[in-house]
Order: sequence, then C-alpha cells, then structure tokens
Amino acid sequence: MRRILLVEDNEMNRDMLSRRLQRRGYDVMIAVDGQEGVRMAQEESPDLILMDMSLPLIDGWEATRTLKTAVETKMIPIIALTAHAMSTDRDKALAAGCDDYDTKPIELTRLLGKMDALIGALS
Amino acid sequence: MDQQPFVEDIETYAQDIVDTVREPLLMLDTNLRVQSANRAFYETFHVSVAETEDQLIYELGNGQWDIPDLRTLLEDVIPTSSVFNDFELEHTFPNIGRRVMLLNGRKLRAGSHSAIIVLAMEDVTERRRSEADLRAIETYAQDIVDTVREPLLILDTTLRVQSGNRAFYRTFRVSPGETENRLIYELGNGQWDIPALRTLLEDIVPTSSVFNDFELEHDFPTLGRRVMLLNARKLQAGHHGELVVLAMEDVTERRRAEEEAAKAKEASEIANRTKSMFLANMSHELRTPLNAIVGYSEMLHEEAEEQGLDSFCVDLEKINGSGRQLLALINDILDLSKIEAGKMELFLESFDLSALIDEVAATINPMVKKNANVLKIERSTDLGGMRADQVKVRQALYNLLSNAAKFTHEGTITLDAERQRMDGSEWIVFRVVDTGIGLSAEKLLRLFQDFTQADASTTRKFGGTGLGLALTRRFCQMMGGDVTVRSVPGEGSTFTIKLPAIVKEPDVERQDDHDDERAPIVSTDRRDDDPAPAPSTCVLVIDDNAAQRDLMRRFLVKEGYCVRCAASGEEGLRLAKEMIPIAITLDVMMPEMDGWTVLRSLQSEKLLSDVPVIMLTMVDDPERGLNFGAKEYLTKPVNRRRLSRILKRYSCATQPCPVLVVDDDAAVRASMRTMLEKNECRVTEAENGEKALALMETDRPTLIFLDLWMEGMDGFAFADQVRTHPEWRSIPIIVVTAHDLTAGERKQLNGNVEMILKKSGQSREEFLAQIIDALDNCAVPRLVAV
Repeated sequence: MRRILLVEDNEMNRDMLSRRLQRRGYDVMIAVDGQEGVRMAQEESPDLILMDMSLPLIDGWEATRTLKTAVETKMIPIIALTAHAMSTDRDKALAAGCDDYDTKPIELTRLLGKMDALIGALS
Repeated sequence: MDQQPFVEDIETYAQDIVDTVREPLLMLDTNLRVQSANRAFYETFHVSVAETEDQLIYELGNGQWDIPDLRTLLEDVIPTSSVFNDFELEHTFPNIGRRVMLLNGRKLRAGSHSAIIVLAMEDVTERRRSEADLRAIETYAQDIVDTVREPLLILDTTLRVQSGNRAFYRTFRVSPGETENRLIYELGNGQWDIPALRTLLEDIVPTSSVFNDFELEHDFPTLGRRVMLLNARKLQAGHHGELVVLAMEDVTERRRAEEEAAKAKEASEIANRTKSMFLANMSHELRTPLNAIVGYSEMLHEEAEEQGLDSFCVDLEKINGSGRQLLALINDILDLSKIEAGKMELFLESFDLSALIDEVAATINPMVKKNANVLKIERSTDLGGMRADQVKVRQALYNLLSNAAKFTHEGTITLDAERQRMDGSEWIVFRVVDTGIGLSAEKLLRLFQDFTQADASTTRKFGGTGLGLALTRRFCQMMGGDVTVRSVPGEGSTFTIKLPAIVKEPDVERQDDHDDERAPIVSTDRRDDDPAPAPSTCVLVIDDNAAQRDLMRRFLVKEGYCVRCAASGEEGLRLAKEMIPIAITLDVMMPEMDGWTVLRSLQSEKLLSDVPVIMLTMVDDPERGLNFGAKEYLTKPVNRRRLSRILKRYSCATQPCPVLVVDDDAAVRASMRTMLEKNECRVTEAENGEKALALMETDRPTLIFLDLWMEGMDGFAFADQVRTHPEWRSIPIIVVTAHDLTAGERKQLNGNVEMILKKSGQSREEFLAQIIDALDNCAVPRLVAV
C-alpha cells in the first residue's frame, strides 16, 4: 500500500483529501504544520508527500527545502499544493525542490495523475 | 581821435553777431516797430528787409504776427518786467504753415539808441512733435501695462518703484501715492520685505537680468497668505534708464486646486488599491468554504454512486456544478483585480498546442452538448507548440467557447487553430466560430468592457457576469496579442485570438497601460517605420543624474569609446533602438521608469537583447567620491580569453586569486572549482550562508559566486550580511541561480550583488562561459573607481 503524507493545516481540506485518497486505497498520514510534516517525513519515510505551502510554524517552502537537503528524505517526492495558480508560486515550489505542483481546489483525477507519474499507479 | 568810426565798427560787429545767430531775432523799438531783423529771421519767414524794417510788428507779412497772446506779451509784460522767457506760441504762419515758436524777449539799452526789445524766436515744432510722439508711446505702454490683469511693478535699478499698474493697486489695495518713488521693501508697511525676494532682486536680477516663475508664499497684511509666481525682466527704457519689471501672478487658487487634485488622485488610488485588496481577500475568504462545498459534494457523489443512490447523485451534481460555477466567478474577479492592481504575472512555458486544444475541448464538451450544439475542431498540420502562459491561453479559449456554447442552440461551434506569419514573426491564431444569436455593432463596442454584457437582458436570460471577455482580452494583451470579433446578428459570431508564437516577458510599462480602451473590432496595423540601424561603436549611458552621466561619459571617452547619453529610461530605450549601442550602462534608481524596467524592455527588443547591459548604482564612498558598482547584466557574446585579464583587474595582485563559491549543490561547486582553478583562482567552498560567513572570517575572497536558495541562511540573507560588513561590502557578489528572479526578489538583492547568472536553460558550457563573461564585464565599474 502506498503511504502518503499529507501536510495541510485546513481541517476540511485535510479531511476531504485524506478520505478520498483512502477510498482509493492509499494509506494517508496527516501532519498539520510544517514542523510536524518534516518530523513525520523523517520518522515515517512515506512514499510521497502532499505539501500545502501556507502552513503555520514552518511554511511549505521551508519544509520542502529542509526535506530536500537532508540525505534521508531528499528522495521522497513532494507535490506542492497552493491556493491559486500564481506563476510565482509554481516557480517557487520548483525552486524549493518540489517534484511537482498542483493548485487548489483539488481536481482529484489530475492530482492522482501527478501522483502516479511520481510513484507509479496503484495496481 | 574820431569817435564815430569806432561806434560804427561796434555796431557792425554787433550786427554780425546777430546775423550769425541761427535763431530768428527781431529788434523792436518801444513802439513795437521793427528796427532790424537778423538773417535767420528773413530766411525762416521768407520775407525781405523792405517788408520788415520800420514796420509795426503786427503789420509784418499782412498781419501774420498780430497774435493776441503776443500783443499781451509785448504790451503788458515787456513794459513792466523788461524780460520774458520761453513763451510758447503756436500759430499758423502764411508762409511757413503751422509752427510752434518759443519766444524770449529782452529789453535793452543800446548805447545812444533808445531802448530796444530783442525778440528771439525758436522754432520748436519738430521738438514738440517728437515729444508728443514719445508721450503717446508712453501712454500706450502704460495702457498696456494697465490692461495686464497681473499686478506689475516697474522698479528702477535702486529698487525704487517707478509705477505700478492698475492691477497692482487693485490687488494690494494701495494707492499710487503710497507706492511710487518708494523702495519696494517699504511698500505697505514692509509687506514686500521678504528675504527670498531680496535675494532675487538683489542677487539674481542684476546678474542675469531675468528670472522666471519664482514661487513665493507669503502672508500679505491686506490679502492674507498668498502664493505668488514672480517673473522679472530687466530692460532698457530709453531716457528712463534701466528698469526692472516685476510681474506677480497670484497662483494661490491654482496651487490649492492642484493640491486638491493631487490629494483626490491619491485618495482614489488608495481607494482603488483598497478595493483590489478587498477583492483579493474576499475572494480568498469565499474560496475556502467553496472548496469544501465542491470537494464534499464530489466525495458524496462518489459514495452515492458506489451505493447506487442515483437520485442523490443528480442533486449532488447540481451542488457541485453550482459550487464550481461560483468558484470560477470568484477566480475571474480575483484575476481582474490583480490585473488592475498590476499584479498579474505571466508564467511563460513551452507547450504543445494540440494537447491543449484536446484538453479544452474535453472540458467544454458537456457545456456544448447542453444546448444540443456540435463542437468541431480544426487545426493546421504545422500547428506545433507555442511559448506562452498556458493557464491564460487555456482560460481565454475556454471563455470564448463557453460564450459560444451559451449563446448558440442546436448549432455548430468551431474552434480552429493555425500558425501564421505576420510582421516577420510567427503568430498562433485561434478562431471560435458559432452559429448563435450574434451581436449588433452597438453591442460589439461594449463587449470587452469589464462587468458589461452586451445588454442587461442578456444577463437575465443567459447568466454570467460579463467578466469572461474582459479577462480574455486582458490576458491576450498581456501576452502581446489581442482578441477581435466579427458578428452578424442572427447568424453568429467569430472571435479571433492572435498571440505571438513566442510570447516575450512583458515590460511593466505595457502591462500598466490598459487605459487603451479602443474598440477591439479592428485589429491594429503595426507601424513598420523602424529605420535600418546604422553600425555603431557607441556606448549608451542611461542615467537621470547629470553629474553621473557626465562622469561616465568622460570616463568612457577617455577609454576610447564613443558615448551617447540619455537622461531617462524612456529616452534611453528610444536611443538604444536608434543606435544599437555596443554596450549600455544603466542606472538602477531613476524616477518614472527604473533600471529593471528598462532592462526588461531592452531584452524584449530583438535587436537589443544581445547588447550587454551594465547596471549601475551610486555608492557613497567618502574617499573617492562617486563610485560605481555593477548590479546585474545578462549577455550572450562570450569570450573566454578575457578571463585572466579580468581577474587581474579584480585587484588579484597576488595569484592565485581567492574566490568563494557558495552553493548547496556539490556538483555545481565542483564544476565551478574546476573552471575557476583553470583560470588560476584559489577556490574555497561553502554549502550555505552561515558556513560561508565563517569561512570569510579567516579567508577573505576577492569574488563570491552565490546560490540563492540554500538550506539555513539563504543567498539573500548572506548577501545582506556581506554588504553590512565594512570590510566585505566591496567584494563583488555574482549570483548563480536556477531560475529567473521576480522583481521582488531582485529588489531584495538590491545593491547587494554585482550580477545575476542563470543556472538553467542552457548547457553547462554556456553557463560557465557566461560566468567568465560576467567577470569581464564586472570589471568595467572597477576601472571607474581607479
């Protein structure tokens, strides 16, 4: 089973996305801020991280940079989730080391496609 | 000895004198009978001796001298006073016409002769005429002066008032008596004794003889606080000598109005910004709950489907659809407010057009089918890809297609796309053709305006906010294209989007310029009058500061360059296009169009994009005075051989030259090291800002290559630290980055780095070559400092 770490501070977004992913057979772990996200990524080594960019304590950019510079976590693919299609956001996400980027509201099929591209489709 | 001949001698002598006098003279006895006249008399009045001598003066020349005033004079004044002076007589003489004569009379005792009256006549006709002319001119001048509605004071060179005009007396409520012949400073209890005015009148006027538009704010006792615009001229006024004309224009009201207008403008700008900010915040606040509505309804829909609850599915679809519609609307409003606030950015990427069209078609198809329409896609075989903001192109197409679907029933909607060559460059042309209700000419005109649908009834019938087309147009214009429409009411409409196949980065000027609300129906003809650029070897200096410009020009001329200067960004751009310089030095801090904006415009010009640009900023250096520091440049022509020469310029007196490479990527550090060591540099490395700072404490580099995004202390913070350190601030920093920087990020680096290099989008060889070239160009400002 694919293990996904979802780092998202908004409760409803967290609830929706995690339930929809679970229904599709993913094992979803939750972190509610950047700090927890970094810690859980280090401890749990998930297959993929879905990272909201505006997070409390440590924001998504910072958390991504931290994960992407540490040897133990740099191989974990990260998809950045941002509120709107701001080109600077996309640019910044990729600059921070994100492997891909998607905008909210989540278009589930599109997101699943991007996840598949990074960690392979679920059989 | 006989007395008689002696007396005769004297009389002859006296007659000779009398004849020599050029003024007509008459000698009368006390009976007013002419004893004799001089030659001038006979010549002036064209009379003979016979007609004159022994005649009564009143009988002379048929009584021409019988003038009542003269009678009074001769008969009343002379007998008692024996002299009269300057009696002016105007009379029409039969022989010589109207004349003004100045008469002087003397009663004399002349030896044995009885008393005689000498009457001298001076013809002052001409003199009086020119005096009258002069008076007329002066009156005329005074009339003009009085007609001027602006208060005027005429001063002599000692600043004493000769006169004021009517406006002056009226404005300042003073009389000529209180004004004339007084020093200006004494006027009205010293109300004009204003230090600034003293300086003007005493220092400026004497030397420069003129000053213009000097603004004076002063509390005048009679008028209260007033702003006066003073103009002065020194002029030569004939026999009056040198005069100063001081004109005072009361601009108090004008200034107040200007101030109010400026305040109103500012207030409206603030209001507009507030509005945009409110919209942005509002949109964000609205989006969060809407995301939940859309997401949960979608989720429930999935679950309902799984459990076979079909009746739920229909309703959940409606909730989801409405949520999405609302969301799209909010996004439109946000986009529009962003465009208005000048915050909309373009994200340019290369993408395949066919894939984009398929994607848009798939998205729009449900809407097309809803009104029983058919969607036809036509694309030319050479369509290929384009470089543009993909999201905006997609949205523009989607907007046009959804409009077509909305206004067409049981018809055909065609999307065709082709590549065209126009104006010597490649364009992508999309056409959305429908067979719907069409638009009248009048409706076409209002079509692209924000918040406007063709008419209000449309809103009720078809829904929507009318934002879609306005946004579409703005998007297209941002990308250097436009959207146009042709329509026949009842038959359908054709919307055409034309975009450059390769969209250039927008310059800020163009983006802000959306006042241009011309009707988009007719596509504009591009003027093609660019003259062929002459081959040039000149350097263009763009700087708003005249001293800087001059310093730079002199330096460059001394170095053997031909130099042209521009005092503003706009002028610089114009000149650059005209001359195609070999290099441009560009000041960063300029009013109106700043250096970064100019740089972007320069690079969007095909002919100029290869011209090296050296960004300059003024650095305060107490010892050397003005100094230059380069900030950024991007250039293509590469010259590896110049590297060693440049490193020497970098005061690398002792080889090897110490260079610090700060980058978190070990591979980048390694390749830089190899390249730099080949060029006789001694390389130290650090993987982040903190480590670099620690290293620098013991090993001061001559040059720093800096990555921006690093773990821990990033490049921005590091550059800041270096620049605040007194011993390090002069070390040139060259930023090495994988991405284009946003204007904000550039600002963050403001003044801290010498240049910015891009790591991506080119081969490693190109990248390294760029660094070498950077080193070369970086040396230019150092030469200035020497």
